[in-house]
Amino acid sequence: MRRKYTLALLACLGLSTLPALADDSTEALARTCNNCHGVNGVSAGGAMPSLGGQSETYLKHIMMEWKTGERAAASMNRLIKGYSDEQIASLAKYFAAKPWVPIAQKASADVMARGKDVTDKCETCHGATGGQPDDETTPRLNGQSALFLHLELDKYRDEAFLMTHKKMIKSARKMDEKDVGIAAKFYGNQSK
Amino acid sequence: MSQINRRDFIKAIAAASSASVLTIPSAHAGQTKGRVVVVGGGYGGATAAKYLRMMDGGIDVTLIEANSTYTSCPLSNEVISGERDIKTLEVGYSGLKKHGVKVVHDWVTGVDTAKKVVSTKGGQTYAYDALILSPGVEFNYAAVEGYTEELANTSLPHAWKAGAQTLMLKKQLEAMPDGGKFIIAVPPGPFRCPPGPYERAAQVALYCKTHGKAKSKILILDSNDSFSKKALFEQAWKALYDGMIEWVPGASDGKVIKVDAKTKTCFTNFGDHKGDVVNIIPPHHAGKIARDMGLATFKTHWCEVKPESMEAKAQKDIYVIGDSCIGGDLAGNFGFPKSAHMAMTQAKVAAGAIIAKINNLPLPVPFYVNTCYSVVAPDWGFSVVHVYRVENNTWVYVKEASGISPVTMPDKSPVPRLYRKVEAEYADGWLRNVLADAYS
Ligand SMILES: Cc1cc2nc3c(=O)[nH]c(=O)nc-3n(C[C@H](O)[C@H](O)[C@H](O)COP(=O)(O)OP(=O)(O)OC[C@H]3O[C@@H](n4cnc5c(N)ncnc54)[C@H](O)[C@@H]3O)c2cc1C
Repeated sequence: MRRKYTLALLACLGLSTLPALADDSTEALARTCNNCHGVNGVSAGGAMPSLGGQSETYLKHIMMEWKTGERAAASMNRLIKGYSDEQIASLAKYFAAKPWVPIAQKASADVMARGKDVTDKCETCHGATGGQPDDETTPRLNGQSALFLHLELDKYRDEAFLMTHKKMIKSARKMDEKDVGIAAKFYGNQSK
Repeated sequence: MSQINRRDFIKAIAAASSASVLTIPSAHAGQTKGRVVVVGGGYGGATAAKYLRMMDGGIDVTLIEANSTYTSCPLSNEVISGERDIKTLEVGYSGLKKHGVKVVHDWVTGVDTAKKVVSTKGGQTYAYDALILSPGVEFNYAAVEGYTEELANTSLPHAWKAGAQTLMLKKQLEAMPDGGKFIIAVPPGPFRCPPGPYERAAQVALYCKTHGKAKSKILILDSNDSFSKKALFEQAWKALYDGMIEWVPGASDGKVIKVDAKTKTCFTNFGDHKGDVVNIIPPHHAGKIARDMGLATFKTHWCEVKPESMEAKAQKDIYVIGDSCIGGDLAGNFGFPKSAHMAMTQAKVAAGAIIAKINNLPLPVPFYVNTCYSVVAPDWGFSVVHVYRVENNTWVYVKEASGISPVTMPDKSPVPRLYRKVEAEYADGWLRNVLADAYS
């Protein structure tokens, strides 16, 4: 906990961009991710998810699943094959050390009220706002791109799209079609 | 096209990236460790200037760009079809100024490589320790007989640099009658944005199909015999716009060598094609300044650079990035695509190499990545990915990581529609993020 805090603080101060570290290959490698996922892994929106501050375990796990072909993706499953297992591990560590920056996107009061109900079952693992994951394999959802969350749920719900997390597959497929967007917006709206 | 919450994200991005601007100040206040001049504020130049400052706040960075507003070419084909407002593609330079980049709007006319000084049309001079050139491309109008820059600006827009010509082409499409013919003439490769002409054909077809002009035809007259993401485009054209798009390869007399502006006729070696709208994409080469300086060592068209740093082969301390350079695995026919994504990757490699040099540090290990999305309908997109490693000062194309979206699933079953929908959304998310990564 203490270490995580220190790392986050260092990241906040921008110390990870010291010229002394310019030869650090992880830093150079991470710059290739910034194009789509933003500096420090904070996305500028659309369907691109933020990565900074997700747990190291989660990030590494998902990248390795794409690499081995266990899990489908539209483009990351190709791209990630260009990175060695060691590079993947160090990227996971790098982005996990950045602070999680929730971006609260607008949602109507109706959506938020309904959202609270439909995400009732998600709470056990993700926490009330999606920002309290119960373990290291669970991603943060609070202030994540709502469009990204919506598309992820669509993937879990589509039988033809190969996903791996059994519990998520089951829960997502149980949802009512019209609640998918509501759940996504509910989490996208959370600032904490 | 989803336009949700753009402002929410921009606000947060500004806050997040200003936190990362807090880099080390120079050792002695008022003194600088090194001066870098960047020519061209497109995707390549803007990214280089920002990352130089982010990596080392002790470096003095001056960006010289002709225009005060930049218009993104990526996704400008959606402007032609009316799917996107051109404003979503426009960006200014205030974000770079916040990073401490000195932004100058002027035209660079010459470089004295012995004295290491850049001079401009406005009569100014700028001294440099390292110079980055990202001037994009210069069009060779003379390669198509009868075509001129003036015609491009007045009646036959190429729209291969986004802006006024993009809007002119959109107007011409809107004025085209049902049953009309829209001709796109593709130059010999390598050209900027390899999948661009074919994405444009799809966007034009989309407009026609949704605006009561489904009898119209799009004729692609190509100088080349194949094209980027061909199987994916042909599959989508058939599924979405069956019979509307015709592609004529170079081998079947597709190369346009002459145009008559008055009758809107394109001439090939053996034939002629009259169009209602004629969109000639002229051949192009490295930006004028790079060629004037003798850096275009590859067939006098493109600038060769060193894989580990992007430094020009022909000139020390000058780095050429973006569309002007040539690189990648040319022998294996996997050259760098001329894309914004690639320009940004190259910018980061060049910036890292310059910072290392100024600080007497070892060069960072370079890594080159490209992702390029094409959107053929609001819910249908696909991509191509390129990854290059550098080994023994040579680019190695990483085959297993590169390539196009699936055309079919491994068992030959059709690709689930969700894949295409997701990638159409990624294209828009990509645009928002590259604009932020380069300019915020
Ligand atoms: C229709 C279309 C669609 C595209 N779609 C995609 C896509 O989806 N994805 C993708 O990755 N790429 C795409 N591209 C390609 C992309 O636009 C280019 O690869 C990219 O812009 C290259 O960046 P650059 O910095 O090299 O040049 P540019 O972006 O052209 O910038 C060059 C800048 O330099 C300035 N300049 C030049 N000379 C001087 C001088 N002497 N003094 C001062 N200023 C000067 C110019 O004013 C200009 O602003 C597309 C291109 C087109 C035409």
